[in-house]
This record gives sequence, C-alpha cells and structure tokens, in this order.
Amino acid sequence: MSIAGFERPTLGKIIIDGVDCTTLPPNKRNIGMVFQHYTLFPHLSVADNVAFPLKMRGISRSERRRQAEAALETVRLAGYGDRMPKQLSGGQQQRVALARAIVYRPRVLLMDEPLSALDKNLREEMQLEIKRLHSELGLTVVFVTHDQGEALTMADRIAILKAGKLQQVSPARELYERPSNLFAAGFIGEMNMLPVEWDGQRARLVQGEEIVLPDQAAITPVTPGPAVLAVRPERLSYARAGTAGTWAATVRDVVYAGAGTLLITSLGDGTEVRLRIPSAGQEPVSPGDAIGLTCPPEAMLLYPQEGA
Amino acid sequence: MNARSLLLNAYVYAVLIFILLPIIIILPMSVSESNYLAFPPEGFTLRWFEDYFGDRRWMEATWFSIRIATLTAIATAVIGTMATYALVRGAGRMGTLFQTLLIGPIVVPHIALAVALYLFFQNTGLSGTTLGYVMAHSLIAMPFTVFTVAAALSSIDPALEDAAMSCGASRFTAFRLITLPMILPNVVSGGLFAFIISFDEPVIAFFLAGIRDKTLPRMMFDDIEQNLTPVIPAIAVLLTLLSIAVLIGAGMLKRMADRRGAGG
Repeated sequence: MSIAGFERPTLGKIIIDGVDCTTLPPNKRNIGMVFQHYTLFPHLSVADNVAFPLKMRGISRSERRRQAEAALETVRLAGYGDRMPKQLSGGQQQRVALARAIVYRPRVLLMDEPLSALDKNLREEMQLEIKRLHSELGLTVVFVTHDQGEALTMADRIAILKAGKLQQVSPARELYERPSNLFAAGFIGEMNMLPVEWDGQRARLVQGEEIVLPDQAAITPVTPGPAVLAVRPERLSYARAGTAGTWAATVRDVVYAGAGTLLITSLGDGTEVRLRIPSAGQEPVSPGDAIGLTCPPEAMLLYPQEGA
Repeated sequence: MNARSLLLNAYVYAVLIFILLPIIIILPMSVSESNYLAFPPEGFTLRWFEDYFGDRRWMEATWFSIRIATLTAIATAVIGTMATYALVRGAGRMGTLFQTLLIGPIVVPHIALAVALYLFFQNTGLSGTTLGYVMAHSLIAMPFTVFTVAAALSSIDPALEDAAMSCGASRFTAFRLITLPMILPNVVSGGLFAFIISFDEPVIAFFLAGIRDKTLPRMMFDDIEQNLTPVIPAIAVLLTLLSIAVLIGAGMLKRMADRRGAGG
C-alpha cells in the first residue's frame, strides 16, 4: 500500500525507475494495481472498467475502446467487453482487473494478494497466466502473497517482510537453500531447528553428538556459544540406531502420504525433528523404534541463537 | 394455513385498517356538499378542490411550499451526502459526536427546535425568509437523508475508490465517477424524503412564518382556526397523494439500485 501511495512510509524512500515517489499521491504514480477482491466498478461494463485508466489519461473514446479490447484479449477475455462485472466468474473478474491494471502500460504492476479469493485450481491457472503476462509484457511485477508456494513458483526474487522490515531479498533458490536468518528459514517451507553448542568448529547437540560443520554452514558469523542448527526435513535420512556419525533419535510418528512419508522423531532432549523421505526403498520403521539420523554436511546451516 | 397464521393475518389487517382509517375518511369528507366538516358526507361535489385551486392565497402558499421543499431537498441531498461520506469513510474520533449532532433533530422535539430557531432567526433577520425556512427544514430532514445515503455508502467497498485512484483518478474524480453513481438512487430518494418532510412541516413553519409568505401547512392551520371548510380535507387528500407518489418514486429508485447491484 506504500508503494501504491495509499500510505505514507514512516521512514525511507520509494524510488521507481529512478523517480522518488515517496510523497506522490496514488493517481500520479502510474502504477498498475490489482487488489485482493477484484474491485471492479460494478456500475460500469467490463470494457468501461478496462478503459477507465485511459479515460483518466484523456484518451479519445475510439482509442480507449480499441486499447481496452486489446487488453481484454491479452487476458483472454476478448468479446466480454459488453458484460457487467457481476456476470463474470471470480477468475474472470480478476482477469478483468488485471486487464485494467495493464491497459495503460504502467512501469510497475502491483498485485496485493490477487489470488487469495480464488479457489485452488483457479489460483494455479491464474499463477501461470500472470507468469505468461509477465514475460509477454516485460513489466516489473510486485506480487504480495502469504502463500509460500506461490512465492517460490512465481517470483524471480522474493522479499520477506516482518513487521515492516525486510528480512531478505534474494532469488527463490537462495532463499530456500540459504535463508539469511532464522525468521526467513522458518518462514518458507519446513525447517528443523536444533539447539546446539557451537565452539567455532564443531556443533554439539544437547544429547552429546558432535558435528563438524563446513565453513559455509554459517551464513552470518556465529560467535561460539549457544546456536541453532537448521536442516530441511527432506535433506535428512536415517540409518540403524548406533551407526557411526548419526544422531540418536526415537520415532514418534510415521505419516504415509503416497510418494513421500513424513517421519516425526525426537532427540534425547525432546527436540522434534521431522524427516521427509521417499516412501519406496526404505527400511520400514514404526513409532517407538530407535534410529540414527544423518545429514549431508552441506545441508546444515548454523544461525546465532535468536535474541542473542 | 393453520389457525395461528390465520389469527396473525387478521391481526395484521386490523392494525393496517386502524392506521389507514383516518386517511380513508378524509376522502369522502373532501367531496361532501356541506359547508363544514361532516361525516358521513352529504352528496358529492368537487367544489372544495376547485376552491383550493382557484384561490390565490392557497396557490401562493402552495408555490411557496414547493419552492422551500425543493430547495430543502437539494440542500439536504448535497450536504447530507457530503456529511455521510465523512461519517462512513472515516470521521475518526469526532465521528460519534458528529453523527449525534446530525441525527439529533430526530429526538429533539420540533417545538423546542422551533423556539430556538425563532429566537435565533429573530436576531439574525432570517425569520420568514426563504433561506431561514430552507435552513430549518434541512435541519429536520437531514437525519433521513443521512440514513438513506449511509445505507448505500456502507455497502460499497472503499477499495473501489482506491482502485480508481490507482487508475489515475484524483480523489474527487474517484468519488464522482465511481461512488456517486452507485449511491445516486439513494441520494435522490433521500432528497425526496426531505421534500415531503419540508412540504408538510407545520411546527417550525408556525414560528417562522412572516406576514406575507406562508407555507401550505401554516395556511391550513390559519384556515382551520377561521373557517374549517372541506377545503382542508381536500388539501389533505392531495398531500396524501403526493406522499404516496414520492414513496412509489423512492421505491422505484431502490428497485433500480438493487437491480444494478445485482448486475442486471
């Protein structure tokens, strides 16, 4: 809402394409915006909705008509111009809103949780649609979402915000594999977080095992002392209890889900560790079994303890 | 239909008849041939309607009332809409106070309001003037307009105006092109209500009337004191018909607004 100009930021500047927009009102920013709940003008036809921004820019009626029809074609709604918004489905309405936001070729397209009102199938279809438009039109899209999967699949770069502060801005892969702090690590996807004692070279679990970590495990320098070892559930595997180099754990629950299985285990101190493993080709385990957990060294990340 | 719903139906009709009876009775009284108010009526004549339309004094009062009521309707619709917009879209902490002041005239007895306005207008030279009437009548009609417009406005997503602004419209243009067309039927019917309220308002008119310019209800009271001819029920019939016409008009506007909202 700050980028669009509806709220004044308390601090910092908003610069779009080299122009400082911090104090510009929304109507002077030339930004395309798609809202959460379509926000089509109910008393105007679809074509008039799409042509509205052109009207505001003083473009002639016939030219408006032509450009609006072209924009509707882009969102695959050619020929729907004479209908009223209420006569369209939710997905179609959101596509009209999209057409309205791109019809005047804005510098930036802002989308504020545009798909959260749609059901799952429609949402996936619209995700592809927006990606297609993005590459076709070549404009910058700022896409706000609470859906982590949506963020990973759609974005070239993802920014994580917490209480108005940027936590991390990076490509999806980097964000998932090397999140810059514990909040980012826990925000996207699942993450096991194990309390450890760090001595500068080795991390010691509460129950005693010592793990030698490679240098790149720490994303920011970690001072010796209490720290957190983070591992994605799909990077862990298990072996027979007592195997050298494994961490002793007890199986608490086995959740079979077709292709994959979720294993919920706990370490000696009660810390829960989740494993996501392929269902096939595994030695079966059941709740109560003692096993040993293993993890490739490059999959382990070390963070300073939160609040430390 | 069981006995209970039969009883309920009978009860509802009884209440309706009780309410409507006085209105129904004025109709025969207005066509009675006798020179005084009589029920049951004697004979049939349209003489009293002719008297009304033929009398310069009645006509002057009527036109004066129409003028006051029209101006009141316009003033109330414009000011009421602006006030309601402020109320619904964020008057902040002053909102409650503001709202109470706006709809206050509903609970304040008109006689109290009339006395206060009388004293105020005496000292400001507004007594008996068109402006004075319009101000006073707008005051008492305002709550009805505010309610009517608020009903429409609160059902409109404020994000629509944000969307219009992101499309390049200024705040006022967004209101004019998006919000106003959507609430217009309610604004107009609010204005119609204001017209009716002003048109048959007697109490304030009683206090504000000058020697020359009198509103129709004021003239009727004068006539009741002096003559009490069936012209009074004749006018009452006409006023009732006007009210019904306005109600039907407001109802049609509402239907129109509903249809538009449903996207027909």
